[in-house]
Amino acid sequence: MLIQLLANGIVMGSVYALVAMGFGLIYSTTGIFHFAHGIIYTLGAYLLYLLFINLKISILSSLLLSLAGAASLGIMVELLIYSPLRRKEAAPAVYIISSLGVYIFLQNLIALIFGNETKVIFPGVSKTYHFGSIILTQIQVFEVVAFAILFSIFCIFLMKTRFGKALRGLSNNALLAEVVGIDVRKIRIIAFGAGSLLAGVGAVLVSLDVGIDPNMGISMFLLAAVAVIVGGVKTFTGAVLGGLFLGVIQNLVIWKASARWQTLVTFFILIMFLLFKPEGIMGKKRRLEEV
Amino acid sequence: MNYLLHILIMINIYLVLAFSLNLLIGYTGLLSICHAAFYGIGAYISTLLMINLGMNFFLALLLSILGAMLISLLVSLPSLRLKGDYFILCTIGFQLIVFTILYNWISLTRGPYGISGIPTPSLFGFEFSTIPRYFLLTLIMGIISFIIIRRILISPFGRLLKAIREDELATQSLGKDIFKVKILSFLIAAGIAAISGSLFAHYVTYIDPTSFTLEESIFIATIIIVGGMGNLKGPFVGTVLLFIIPELLRFLGIPDAVAANLRQMIYALLLIAFMYFRPQGIAGEYKFK
Repeated sequence: MLIQLLANGIVMGSVYALVAMGFGLIYSTTGIFHFAHGIIYTLGAYLLYLLFINLKISILSSLLLSLAGAASLGIMVELLIYSPLRRKEAAPAVYIISSLGVYIFLQNLIALIFGNETKVIFPGVSKTYHFGSIILTQIQVFEVVAFAILFSIFCIFLMKTRFGKALRGLSNNALLAEVVGIDVRKIRIIAFGAGSLLAGVGAVLVSLDVGIDPNMGISMFLLAAVAVIVGGVKTFTGAVLGGLFLGVIQNLVIWKASARWQTLVTFFILIMFLLFKPEGIMGKKRRLEEV
Repeated sequence: MNYLLHILIMINIYLVLAFSLNLLIGYTGLLSICHAAFYGIGAYISTLLMINLGMNFFLALLLSILGAMLISLLVSLPSLRLKGDYFILCTIGFQLIVFTILYNWISLTRGPYGISGIPTPSLFGFEFSTIPRYFLLTLIMGIISFIIIRRILISPFGRLLKAIREDELATQSLGKDIFKVKILSFLIAAGIAAISGSLFAHYVTYIDPTSFTLEESIFIATIIIVGGMGNLKGPFVGTVLLFIIPELLRFLGIPDAVAANLRQMIYALLLIAFMYFRPQGIAGEYKFK
Protein backbone atom coordinates (compact mmCIF):
# COMPACT_ATOMS: atom_id res chain seq x y z
CA MET A 1 0.00 0.00 0.00
CA LEU A 2 2.71 2.47 1.01
CA ILE A 3 4.85 1.53 -2.00
CA GLN A 4 1.90 1.99 -4.35
CA LEU A 5 1.18 5.41 -2.84
CA LEU A 6 4.81 6.42 -3.19
CA ALA A 7 4.68 5.35 -6.84
CA ASN A 8 1.50 7.38 -7.35
CA GLY A 9 3.28 10.26 -5.65
CA ILE A 10 6.15 10.05 -8.11
CA VAL A 11 3.67 9.96 -11.01
CA MET A 12 1.78 13.01 -9.74
CA GLY A 13 5.06 14.65 -8.85
CA SER A 14 6.35 14.14 -12.39
CA VAL A 15 3.51 16.25 -13.77
CA TYR A 16 3.97 18.90 -11.05
CA ALA A 17 7.68 18.90 -11.85
CA LEU A 18 7.03 19.46 -15.57
CA VAL A 19 4.76 22.45 -14.97
CA ALA A 20 7.04 23.72 -12.19
CA MET A 21 10.12 23.48 -14.44
CA GLY A 22 8.29 25.72 -16.89
CA PHE A 23 7.23 28.21 -14.24
CA GLY A 24 10.64 28.18 -12.60
CA LEU A 25 12.34 28.87 -15.91
CA ILE A 26 10.14 31.90 -16.53
CA TYR A 27 10.20 33.14 -12.95
CA SER A 28 13.94 32.94 -12.52
CA THR A 29 14.84 34.48 -15.89
CA THR A 30 12.24 37.26 -16.05
CA GLY A 31 11.34 37.75 -12.39
CA ILE A 32 7.65 37.75 -13.30
CA PHE A 33 5.32 35.78 -11.05
CA HIS A 34 3.63 34.46 -14.18
CA PHE A 35 0.12 33.61 -12.97
CA ALA A 36 -1.01 33.17 -16.57
CA HIS A 37 1.15 30.02 -16.65
CA GLY A 38 -1.89 28.32 -15.17
CA ILE A 39 -4.13 29.29 -18.05
CA ILE A 40 -1.55 28.22 -20.63
CA TYR A 41 -1.72 24.83 -18.95
CA THR A 42 -5.54 24.82 -19.21
CA LEU A 43 -5.42 26.01 -22.82
CA GLY A 44 -2.99 23.25 -23.79
CA ALA A 45 -5.50 20.71 -22.50
CA TYR A 46 -8.49 22.35 -24.22
CA LEU A 47 -6.57 22.63 -27.51
CA LEU A 48 -6.06 18.89 -27.37
CA TYR A 49 -9.78 18.40 -26.75
CA LEU A 50 -10.71 20.75 -29.59
CA LEU A 51 -8.34 19.15 -32.09
CA PHE A 52 -8.76 15.52 -31.14
CA ILE A 53 -12.45 15.32 -30.18
CA ASN A 54 -14.13 18.21 -32.01
CA LEU A 55 -12.03 18.34 -35.19
CA LYS A 56 -11.14 14.61 -35.13
CA ILE A 57 -7.47 15.10 -36.01
CA SER A 58 -5.17 12.13 -35.29
CA ILE A 59 -3.90 11.94 -31.72
CA LEU A 60 -0.25 12.51 -32.59
CA SER A 61 -0.83 15.68 -34.64
CA SER A 62 -3.32 16.91 -32.03
CA LEU A 63 -0.68 16.49 -29.33
CA LEU A 64 1.99 18.30 -31.32
CA LEU A 65 -0.35 21.13 -32.30
CA SER A 66 -1.53 21.56 -28.68
CA LEU A 67 2.06 21.85 -27.50
CA ALA A 68 2.89 24.35 -30.23
CA GLY A 69 -0.27 26.26 -29.29
CA ALA A 70 0.70 26.38 -25.62
CA ALA A 71 4.22 27.60 -26.45
CA SER A 72 3.01 30.33 -28.81
CA LEU A 73 0.43 31.47 -26.28
CA GLY A 74 3.11 31.87 -23.64
CA ILE A 75 5.17 33.96 -26.06
CA MET A 76 2.10 36.04 -26.91
CA VAL A 77 1.52 36.86 -23.23
CA GLU A 78 5.14 38.04 -23.02
CA LEU A 79 4.90 40.15 -26.18
CA LEU A 80 1.41 41.61 -25.65
CA ILE A 81 1.29 42.04 -21.87
CA TYR A 82 4.69 41.97 -20.16
CA SER A 83 6.80 43.61 -22.82
CA PRO A 84 4.73 46.83 -22.93
CA LEU A 85 4.77 46.94 -19.12
CA ARG A 86 8.54 46.55 -19.14
CA ARG A 87 8.84 49.55 -21.44
CA LYS A 88 6.87 51.54 -18.88
CA GLU A 89 9.11 50.20 -16.09
CA ALA A 90 6.10 48.94 -14.17
CA ALA A 91 6.27 47.76 -10.56
CA PRO A 92 6.42 43.99 -9.84
CA ALA A 93 2.88 44.03 -8.42
CA VAL A 94 1.62 45.43 -11.73
CA TYR A 95 2.96 42.37 -13.57
CA ILE A 96 1.25 39.99 -11.14
CA ILE A 97 -2.07 41.77 -11.38
CA SER A 98 -1.94 41.90 -15.18
CA SER A 99 -0.98 38.23 -15.24
CA LEU A 100 -3.89 37.44 -12.95
CA GLY A 101 -6.12 39.42 -15.32
CA VAL A 102 -4.96 37.32 -18.27
CA TYR A 103 -5.65 34.18 -16.25
CA ILE A 104 -9.20 35.20 -15.28
CA PHE A 105 -10.04 36.46 -18.77
CA LEU A 106 -8.98 33.29 -20.56
CA GLN A 107 -10.43 30.94 -17.95
CA ASN A 108 -13.84 32.53 -18.35
CA LEU A 109 -13.49 32.54 -22.13
CA ILE A 110 -12.79 28.80 -22.04
CA ALA A 111 -15.75 28.22 -19.69
CA LEU A 112 -17.96 30.26 -22.01
CA ILE A 113 -16.95 28.27 -25.10
CA PHE A 114 -16.62 24.74 -23.69
CA GLY A 115 -18.85 24.86 -20.61
CA ASN A 116 -17.93 24.40 -16.96
CA GLU A 117 -18.26 20.64 -16.71
CA THR A 118 -15.41 18.13 -16.64
CA LYS A 119 -14.73 16.52 -20.02
CA VAL A 120 -12.96 13.22 -20.63
CA ILE A 121 -10.78 12.64 -23.66
CA PHE A 122 -10.16 8.90 -23.35
CA PRO A 123 -13.15 7.27 -21.64
CA GLY A 124 -12.94 3.79 -20.25
CA VAL A 125 -10.23 1.89 -18.40
CA SER A 126 -6.74 2.05 -19.82
CA LYS A 127 -4.19 -0.74 -19.95
CA THR A 128 -2.24 -1.35 -16.72
CA TYR A 129 1.30 -2.50 -16.07
CA HIS A 130 2.57 -4.41 -13.03
CA PHE A 131 6.00 -3.65 -11.59
CA GLY A 132 6.33 -6.03 -8.68
CA SER A 133 3.61 -4.93 -6.29
CA ILE A 134 3.07 -1.59 -8.03
CA ILE A 135 0.29 -1.15 -10.57
CA LEU A 136 0.44 1.78 -13.00
CA THR A 137 -1.80 2.66 -15.92
CA GLN A 138 -0.35 3.24 -19.36
CA ILE A 139 -0.77 7.00 -19.19
CA GLN A 140 0.87 7.10 -15.75
CA VAL A 141 3.90 5.39 -17.22
CA PHE A 142 3.89 7.97 -20.04
CA GLU A 143 3.83 10.74 -17.43
CA VAL A 144 6.95 9.50 -15.72
CA VAL A 145 8.76 8.73 -18.99
CA ALA A 146 7.88 12.12 -20.52
CA PHE A 147 9.12 13.82 -17.38
CA ALA A 148 12.39 11.88 -17.35
CA ILE A 149 13.10 12.61 -21.03
CA LEU A 150 12.19 16.30 -20.85
CA PHE A 151 14.15 16.79 -17.65
CA SER A 152 17.26 15.34 -19.30
CA ILE A 153 16.81 17.52 -22.39
CA PHE A 154 16.21 20.52 -20.13
CA CYS A 155 19.44 19.92 -18.21
CA ILE A 156 21.48 19.49 -21.39
CA PHE A 157 19.87 22.61 -22.87
CA LEU A 158 20.68 24.65 -19.77
CA MET A 159 24.21 23.42 -19.23
CA LYS A 160 25.56 22.84 -22.71
CA THR A 161 23.92 25.23 -25.18
CA ARG A 162 24.57 28.91 -25.69
CA PHE A 163 20.93 29.74 -24.99
CA GLY A 164 21.05 27.78 -21.77
CA LYS A 165 24.07 29.71 -20.60
CA ALA A 166 22.45 32.99 -21.58
CA LEU A 167 19.31 31.97 -19.65
CA ARG A 168 21.32 31.24 -16.55
CA GLY A 169 23.17 34.49 -16.99
CA LEU A 170 19.92 36.42 -17.23
CA SER A 171 18.61 34.74 -14.11
CA ASN A 172 21.80 35.53 -12.26
CA ASN A 173 22.01 39.21 -13.12
CA ALA A 174 19.73 40.74 -15.75
CA LEU A 175 21.61 43.99 -16.07
CA LEU A 176 24.99 42.34 -16.42
CA ALA A 177 23.59 39.93 -19.01
CA GLU A 178 22.49 42.87 -21.11
CA VAL A 179 25.84 44.59 -20.66
CA VAL A 180 27.83 41.63 -21.96
CA GLY A 181 25.74 41.64 -25.10
CA ILE A 182 23.18 38.89 -24.48
CA ASP A 183 20.02 39.58 -26.46
CA VAL A 184 17.75 39.58 -23.38
CA ARG A 185 14.61 40.13 -25.45
CA LYS A 186 15.23 36.95 -27.40
CA ILE A 187 16.19 35.00 -24.30
CA ARG A 188 13.00 36.06 -22.55
CA ILE A 189 10.94 34.85 -25.52
CA ILE A 190 12.78 31.53 -25.43
CA ALA A 191 12.12 31.24 -21.70
CA PHE A 192 8.41 31.88 -22.19
CA GLY A 193 8.22 29.51 -25.17
CA ALA A 194 10.07 26.67 -23.47
CA GLY A 195 8.35 27.20 -20.13
CA SER A 196 4.91 27.19 -21.72
CA LEU A 197 5.81 24.12 -23.75
CA LEU A 198 6.57 22.29 -20.49
CA ALA A 199 3.22 23.39 -19.07
CA GLY A 200 1.59 22.11 -22.26
CA VAL A 201 3.21 18.69 -21.88
CA GLY A 202 1.93 18.45 -18.31
CA ALA A 203 -1.51 19.54 -19.48
CA VAL A 204 -1.94 17.01 -22.28
CA LEU A 205 -0.75 14.19 -20.02
CA VAL A 206 -3.18 15.11 -17.24
CA SER A 207 -6.04 15.62 -19.70
CA LEU A 208 -5.49 12.14 -21.13
CA ASP A 209 -5.29 10.74 -17.59
CA VAL A 210 -8.14 12.37 -15.66
CA GLY A 211 -9.89 14.79 -18.06
CA ILE A 212 -10.23 18.56 -18.27
CA ASP A 213 -12.20 21.39 -16.71
CA PRO A 214 -11.77 25.19 -16.92
CA ASN A 215 -10.49 25.42 -13.32
CA MET A 216 -7.70 22.87 -13.76
CA GLY A 217 -5.02 25.53 -14.26
CA ILE A 218 -5.22 27.48 -11.01
CA SER A 219 -4.54 24.60 -8.64
CA MET A 220 -1.80 23.28 -10.92
CA PHE A 221 -0.20 26.71 -11.17
CA LEU A 222 -0.23 27.19 -7.40
CA LEU A 223 1.27 23.73 -6.92
CA ALA A 224 3.97 24.55 -9.46
CA ALA A 225 4.70 27.85 -7.74
CA VAL A 226 4.95 26.10 -4.37
CA ALA A 227 7.18 23.43 -5.93
CA VAL A 228 9.52 26.09 -7.32
CA ILE A 229 9.80 27.90 -3.99
CA VAL A 230 10.16 24.70 -1.96
CA GLY A 231 12.80 23.45 -4.39
CA GLY A 232 14.71 26.71 -4.66
CA VAL A 233 13.91 29.52 -7.07
CA LYS A 234 17.13 30.27 -8.95
CA THR A 235 18.31 26.70 -9.15
CA PHE A 236 16.24 25.43 -12.15
CA THR A 237 16.48 21.83 -10.94
CA GLY A 238 14.95 22.75 -7.58
CA ALA A 239 11.52 22.87 -9.22
CA VAL A 240 11.84 19.19 -10.11
CA LEU A 241 12.73 18.21 -6.57
CA GLY A 242 9.93 20.39 -5.24
CA GLY A 243 7.41 18.85 -7.64
CA LEU A 244 8.32 15.27 -6.75
CA PHE A 245 8.35 16.16 -3.05
CA LEU A 246 4.83 17.63 -3.25
CA GLY A 247 3.56 14.65 -5.25
CA VAL A 248 4.81 12.21 -2.61
CA ILE A 249 3.58 14.35 0.31
CA GLN A 250 0.11 14.64 -1.22
CA ASN A 251 -0.13 10.88 -1.53
CA LEU A 252 1.01 10.44 2.05
CA VAL A 253 -1.80 12.82 3.04
CA ILE A 254 -4.25 10.56 1.18
CA TRP A 255 -2.86 7.64 3.13
CA LYS A 256 -2.84 9.23 6.58
CA ALA A 257 -5.91 11.50 6.30
CA SER A 258 -7.87 12.18 3.14
CA ALA A 259 -7.41 13.78 -0.27
CA ARG A 260 -9.61 16.64 0.95
CA TRP A 261 -6.81 18.03 3.10
CA GLN A 262 -4.16 18.09 0.36
CA THR A 263 -4.45 21.82 -0.32
CA LEU A 264 -4.13 22.61 3.36
CA VAL A 265 -0.98 20.52 3.75
CA THR A 266 0.56 21.93 0.55
CA PHE A 267 0.20 25.53 1.66
CA PHE A 268 1.21 24.73 5.19
CA ILE A 269 4.45 23.35 3.74
CA LEU A 270 4.83 26.51 1.65
CA ILE A 271 4.46 28.78 4.66
CA MET A 272 6.88 26.67 6.69
CA PHE A 273 9.46 26.81 3.90
CA LEU A 274 9.01 30.56 3.40
CA LEU A 275 9.61 31.10 7.08
CA PHE A 276 12.35 28.66 7.89
CA LYS A 277 14.07 27.80 4.62
CA PRO A 278 13.13 30.53 2.11
CA GLU A 279 15.99 29.58 -0.21
CA GLY A 280 14.38 26.17 -0.77
CA ILE A 281 15.81 22.66 -0.65
CA MET A 282 18.44 23.28 -3.33
CA GLY A 283 19.08 26.98 -2.89
CA LYS A 284 22.07 28.63 -1.27
CA LYS A 285 21.48 30.06 2.16
CA ARG A 286 20.29 33.66 2.07
CA ARG A 287 18.88 35.98 4.65
CA LEU A 288 15.12 36.39 4.65
CA GLU A 289 15.45 40.10 3.91
CA GLU A 290 17.17 39.39 0.59
CA VAL A 291 14.50 37.01 -0.70
CA MET B 1 -37.91 49.25 -5.27
CA ASN B 2 -36.83 46.12 -3.41
CA TYR B 3 -34.60 45.26 -6.35
CA LEU B 4 -32.85 48.58 -6.10
CA LEU B 5 -32.56 48.22 -2.32
CA HIS B 6 -31.11 44.74 -2.76
CA ILE B 7 -28.34 46.15 -4.93
CA LEU B 8 -27.77 48.94 -2.43
CA ILE B 9 -27.50 46.42 0.41
CA MET B 10 -24.89 44.44 -1.53
CA ILE B 11 -23.04 47.66 -2.35
CA ASN B 12 -23.05 48.59 1.33
CA ILE B 13 -21.67 45.20 2.31
CA TYR B 14 -18.93 45.40 -0.32
CA LEU B 15 -18.12 49.00 0.52
CA VAL B 16 -17.22 47.88 4.02
CA LEU B 17 -15.04 45.12 2.53
CA ALA B 18 -13.43 47.51 0.06
CA PHE B 19 -12.67 50.17 2.67
CA SER B 20 -11.06 47.63 4.94
CA LEU B 21 -8.95 46.10 2.16
CA ASN B 22 -7.92 49.58 1.02
CA LEU B 23 -6.32 49.95 4.43
CA LEU B 24 -3.95 47.13 3.46
CA ILE B 25 -3.49 47.60 -0.30
CA GLY B 26 -3.85 51.33 -0.65
CA TYR B 27 -2.49 52.64 2.62
CA THR B 28 0.02 50.13 3.92
CA GLY B 29 1.02 48.96 0.43
CA LEU B 30 0.34 45.26 1.16
CA LEU B 31 -1.26 43.47 -1.82
CA SER B 32 -3.22 40.95 0.23
CA ILE B 33 -5.34 38.42 -1.71
CA CYS B 34 -7.15 36.79 1.21
CA HIS B 35 -9.89 39.21 2.13
CA ALA B 36 -12.65 36.77 1.25
CA ALA B 37 -11.22 34.50 3.95
CA PHE B 38 -11.91 37.10 6.67
CA TYR B 39 -15.26 37.86 5.06
CA GLY B 40 -16.08 34.14 5.29
CA ILE B 41 -14.72 33.76 8.81
CA GLY B 42 -16.98 36.62 9.93
CA ALA B 43 -19.98 35.08 8.21
CA TYR B 44 -19.40 31.62 9.67
CA ILE B 45 -18.57 32.68 13.24
CA SER B 46 -21.64 34.88 13.67
CA THR B 47 -23.88 32.34 11.94
CA LEU B 48 -22.66 29.44 14.09
CA LEU B 49 -22.93 31.48 17.29
CA MET B 50 -26.50 32.52 16.52
CA ILE B 51 -27.65 29.09 15.37
CA ASN B 52 -25.87 26.91 17.92
CA LEU B 53 -25.94 29.15 20.98
CA GLY B 54 -28.94 31.34 20.14
CA MET B 55 -26.84 34.42 20.67
CA ASN B 56 -28.08 37.93 19.87
CA PHE B 57 -26.88 39.21 16.47
CA PHE B 58 -24.91 42.13 17.82
CA LEU B 59 -23.06 40.02 20.36
CA ALA B 60 -22.34 37.41 17.66
CA LEU B 61 -21.14 40.20 15.37
CA LEU B 62 -18.77 41.47 18.03
CA LEU B 63 -17.38 37.99 18.64
CA SER B 64 -16.99 37.36 14.91
CA ILE B 65 -14.96 40.55 14.62
CA LEU B 66 -12.74 39.43 17.47
CA GLY B 67 -12.47 35.95 15.94
CA ALA B 68 -11.41 37.28 12.56
CA MET B 69 -8.87 39.56 14.20
CA LEU B 70 -7.41 36.66 16.13
CA ILE B 71 -7.22 34.48 13.02
CA SER B 72 -5.64 37.34 11.08
CA LEU B 73 -2.58 36.93 13.30
CA LEU B 74 -2.14 33.44 11.84
CA VAL B 75 -1.61 34.94 8.41
CA SER B 76 -0.05 38.30 9.27
CA LEU B 77 2.65 36.99 11.60
CA PRO B 78 4.24 34.72 8.97
CA SER B 79 3.38 36.62 5.79
CA LEU B 80 4.49 40.06 6.94
CA ARG B 81 8.05 38.83 7.23
CA LEU B 82 7.97 38.29 3.46
CA LYS B 83 8.02 40.73 0.59
CA GLY B 84 6.61 41.06 -2.90
CA ASP B 85 5.59 37.86 -4.68
CA TYR B 86 6.15 35.74 -1.60
CA PHE B 87 3.84 37.86 0.50
CA ILE B 88 1.11 37.61 -2.15
CA LEU B 89 1.56 33.86 -2.49
CA CYS B 90 1.42 33.49 1.28
CA THR B 91 -1.91 35.33 1.46
CA ILE B 92 -3.26 33.22 -1.42
CA GLY B 93 -2.16 30.16 0.51
CA PHE B 94 -4.01 31.35 3.61
CA GLN B 95 -7.12 32.00 1.51
CA LEU B 96 -7.02 28.44 0.15
CA ILE B 97 -6.40 26.97 3.62
CA VAL B 98 -9.45 28.79 5.03
CA PHE B 99 -11.58 27.65 2.10
CA THR B 100 -10.41 24.05 2.54
CA ILE B 101 -11.32 24.16 6.22
CA LEU B 102 -14.76 25.68 5.59
CA TYR B 103 -15.36 23.11 2.88
CA ASN B 104 -14.13 20.03 4.69
CA TRP B 105 -14.81 20.51 8.41
CA ILE B 106 -18.29 19.16 7.82
CA SER B 107 -19.22 18.55 11.46
CA LEU B 108 -18.83 22.27 12.17
CA THR B 109 -19.56 24.14 8.94
CA ARG B 110 -21.68 21.51 7.13
CA GLY B 111 -19.13 21.87 4.32
CA PRO B 112 -20.46 22.04 0.75
CA TYR B 113 -24.07 21.65 1.96
CA GLY B 114 -23.91 25.09 3.52
CA ILE B 115 -25.92 26.45 6.44
CA SER B 116 -29.49 27.53 5.78
CA GLY B 117 -32.14 29.21 7.91
CA ILE B 118 -29.77 31.79 9.36
CA PRO B 119 -31.85 33.97 11.71
CA THR B 120 -32.36 37.66 10.94
CA PRO B 121 -30.87 40.18 13.35
CA SER B 122 -33.02 42.01 15.87
CA LEU B 123 -32.36 44.80 18.33
CA PHE B 124 -34.66 45.43 21.34
CA GLY B 125 -37.46 43.52 19.60
CA PHE B 126 -37.02 45.38 16.30
CA GLU B 127 -36.53 42.73 13.59
CA PHE B 128 -34.44 43.62 10.54
CA SER B 129 -36.53 41.16 8.57
CA THR B 130 -37.66 43.15 5.52
CA ILE B 131 -35.42 44.44 2.77
CA PRO B 132 -35.86 48.15 3.60
CA ARG B 133 -35.11 47.43 7.26
CA TYR B 134 -32.04 45.42 6.36
CA PHE B 135 -30.91 48.21 4.09
CA LEU B 136 -31.12 50.49 7.11
CA LEU B 137 -28.98 48.07 9.12
CA THR B 138 -26.28 47.81 6.43
CA LEU B 139 -26.35 51.57 5.96
CA ILE B 140 -25.80 52.17 9.67
CA MET B 141 -23.06 49.55 9.90
CA GLY B 142 -21.49 50.94 6.74
CA ILE B 143 -21.44 54.45 8.14
CA ILE B 144 -20.00 53.25 11.45
CA SER B 145 -17.23 51.33 9.66
CA PHE B 146 -16.54 54.30 7.41
CA ILE B 147 -16.24 56.64 10.39
CA ILE B 148 -13.89 54.21 12.17
CA ILE B 149 -11.69 53.82 9.09
CA ARG B 150 -11.66 57.55 8.40
CA ARG B 151 -10.77 58.23 12.01
CA ILE B 152 -7.87 55.76 11.77
CA LEU B 153 -6.63 57.19 8.51
CA ILE B 154 -6.51 60.81 9.59
CA SER B 155 -4.83 59.88 12.87
CA PRO B 156 -1.05 59.71 13.29
CA PHE B 157 -1.40 55.96 12.86
CA GLY B 158 -2.87 56.50 9.36
CA ARG B 159 0.05 58.71 8.42
CA LEU B 160 2.39 56.04 9.72
CA LEU B 161 0.75 53.52 7.37
CA LYS B 162 1.32 55.83 4.42
CA ALA B 163 4.90 56.38 5.50
CA ILE B 164 5.52 52.63 5.51
CA ARG B 165 3.99 52.40 2.04
CA GLU B 166 6.22 55.15 0.69
CA ASP B 167 9.49 54.16 2.33
CA GLU B 168 9.82 51.33 4.82
CA LEU B 169 13.46 51.91 5.64
CA ALA B 170 13.03 55.63 6.27
CA THR B 171 10.08 54.92 8.57
CA GLN B 172 12.08 52.31 10.42
CA SER B 173 14.94 54.73 10.85
CA LEU B 174 12.55 57.09 12.63
CA GLY B 175 12.27 54.44 15.31
CA LYS B 176 8.86 53.14 14.28
CA ASP B 177 8.13 49.44 14.77
CA ILE B 178 6.84 48.81 11.23
CA PHE B 179 6.19 45.12 11.84
CA LYS B 180 3.81 45.95 14.68
CA VAL B 181 2.10 48.65 12.64
CA LYS B 182 1.54 46.25 9.73
CA ILE B 183 0.13 43.61 12.08
CA LEU B 184 -2.24 46.20 13.51
CA SER B 185 -3.44 47.25 10.07
CA PHE B 186 -4.05 43.60 9.26
CA LEU B 187 -6.00 43.17 12.50
CA ILE B 188 -8.21 46.17 11.78
CA ALA B 189 -8.81 45.18 8.15
CA ALA B 190 -9.73 41.61 9.14
CA GLY B 191 -12.08 42.77 11.89
CA ILE B 192 -13.93 45.14 9.59
CA ALA B 193 -14.15 42.50 6.84
CA ALA B 194 -15.86 40.25 9.41
CA ILE B 195 -18.61 42.87 9.78
CA SER B 196 -19.34 42.48 6.06
CA GLY B 197 -19.35 38.73 6.48
CA SER B 198 -21.99 38.76 9.23
CA LEU B 199 -24.10 41.30 7.36
CA PHE B 200 -23.97 39.13 4.25
CA ALA B 201 -24.80 35.87 6.06
CA HIS B 202 -27.81 37.23 7.91
CA TYR B 203 -29.06 38.94 4.77
CA VAL B 204 -29.02 35.97 2.37
CA THR B 205 -29.82 33.57 5.30
CA TYR B 206 -27.84 30.80 3.57
CA ILE B 207 -24.06 30.49 3.32
CA ASP B 208 -21.72 27.93 1.83
CA PRO B 209 -17.96 28.05 1.22
CA THR B 210 -18.35 28.98 -2.47
CA SER B 211 -19.08 32.58 -1.46
CA PHE B 212 -15.62 32.89 0.08
CA THR B 213 -13.26 31.64 -2.61
CA LEU B 214 -9.98 32.87 -4.05
CA GLU B 215 -11.99 34.35 -6.94
CA GLU B 216 -13.94 36.40 -4.41
CA SER B 217 -10.70 37.67 -2.87
CA ILE B 218 -9.48 38.66 -6.32
CA PHE B 219 -12.80 40.41 -6.94
CA ILE B 220 -12.47 42.48 -3.76
CA ALA B 221 -8.91 43.39 -4.71
CA THR B 222 -10.18 44.35 -8.19
CA ILE B 223 -12.57 46.84 -6.58
CA ILE B 224 -9.64 48.63 -4.96
CA ILE B 225 -7.28 48.37 -7.91
CA VAL B 226 -9.84 49.66 -10.44
CA GLY B 227 -11.52 52.15 -8.12
CA GLY B 228 -8.32 53.63 -6.84
CA MET B 229 -5.88 53.03 -4.04
CA GLY B 230 -4.88 55.11 -1.08
CA ASN B 231 -7.81 57.43 -0.50
CA LEU B 232 -11.45 57.25 0.60
CA LYS B 233 -12.98 57.88 -2.84
CA GLY B 234 -11.34 54.91 -4.58
CA PRO B 235 -13.19 52.01 -2.90
CA PHE B 236 -16.46 53.88 -3.32
CA VAL B 237 -15.96 54.41 -7.06
CA GLY B 238 -14.74 50.83 -7.51
CA THR B 239 -17.61 49.19 -5.64
CA VAL B 240 -20.31 51.16 -7.43
CA LEU B 241 -18.71 50.60 -10.85
CA LEU B 242 -18.20 46.87 -10.38
CA PHE B 243 -21.78 46.43 -9.18
CA ILE B 244 -23.25 48.45 -12.04
CA ILE B 245 -21.53 46.32 -14.71
CA PRO B 246 -23.50 43.10 -13.99
CA GLU B 247 -26.75 45.07 -13.79
CA LEU B 248 -25.98 46.56 -17.22
CA LEU B 249 -25.44 43.06 -18.59
CA ARG B 250 -28.81 42.07 -17.17
CA PHE B 251 -30.33 45.19 -18.70
CA LEU B 252 -28.90 44.22 -22.10
CA GLY B 253 -30.76 40.92 -21.82
CA ILE B 254 -27.71 38.63 -21.74
CA PRO B 255 -28.64 35.20 -20.30
CA ASP B 256 -27.42 34.52 -16.76
CA ALA B 257 -25.18 31.59 -17.70
CA VAL B 258 -23.24 33.75 -20.16
CA ALA B 259 -23.39 36.87 -18.01
CA ALA B 260 -21.47 35.24 -15.14
CA ASN B 261 -18.45 34.51 -17.34
CA LEU B 262 -18.78 37.73 -19.30
CA ARG B 263 -18.76 39.75 -16.09
CA GLN B 264 -15.52 38.09 -14.97
CA MET B 265 -13.99 38.74 -18.38
CA ILE B 266 -14.89 42.42 -18.18
CA TYR B 267 -13.37 42.67 -14.68
CA ALA B 268 -10.21 40.96 -15.96
CA LEU B 269 -9.94 43.33 -18.91
CA LEU B 270 -10.41 46.27 -16.55
CA LEU B 271 -7.54 44.95 -14.41
CA ILE B 272 -5.21 44.60 -17.40
CA ALA B 273 -6.17 47.95 -18.91
CA PHE B 274 -5.82 49.84 -15.64
CA MET B 275 -2.47 48.25 -14.88
CA TYR B 276 -1.20 49.53 -18.22
CA PHE B 277 -2.86 52.91 -18.57
CA ARG B 278 -3.59 54.01 -15.03
CA PRO B 279 -2.05 51.84 -12.31
CA GLN B 280 -3.42 54.05 -9.52
CA GLY B 281 -7.03 53.27 -10.53
CA ILE B 282 -9.80 55.73 -11.35
CA ALA B 283 -9.71 57.91 -8.25
CA GLY B 284 -6.59 56.66 -6.52
CA GLU B 285 -3.49 58.51 -5.54
CA TYR B 286 -1.10 55.62 -4.94
CA LYS B 287 0.65 53.47 -7.55
CA PHE B 288 2.33 50.15 -6.86
CA LYS B 289 6.05 50.46 -6.36
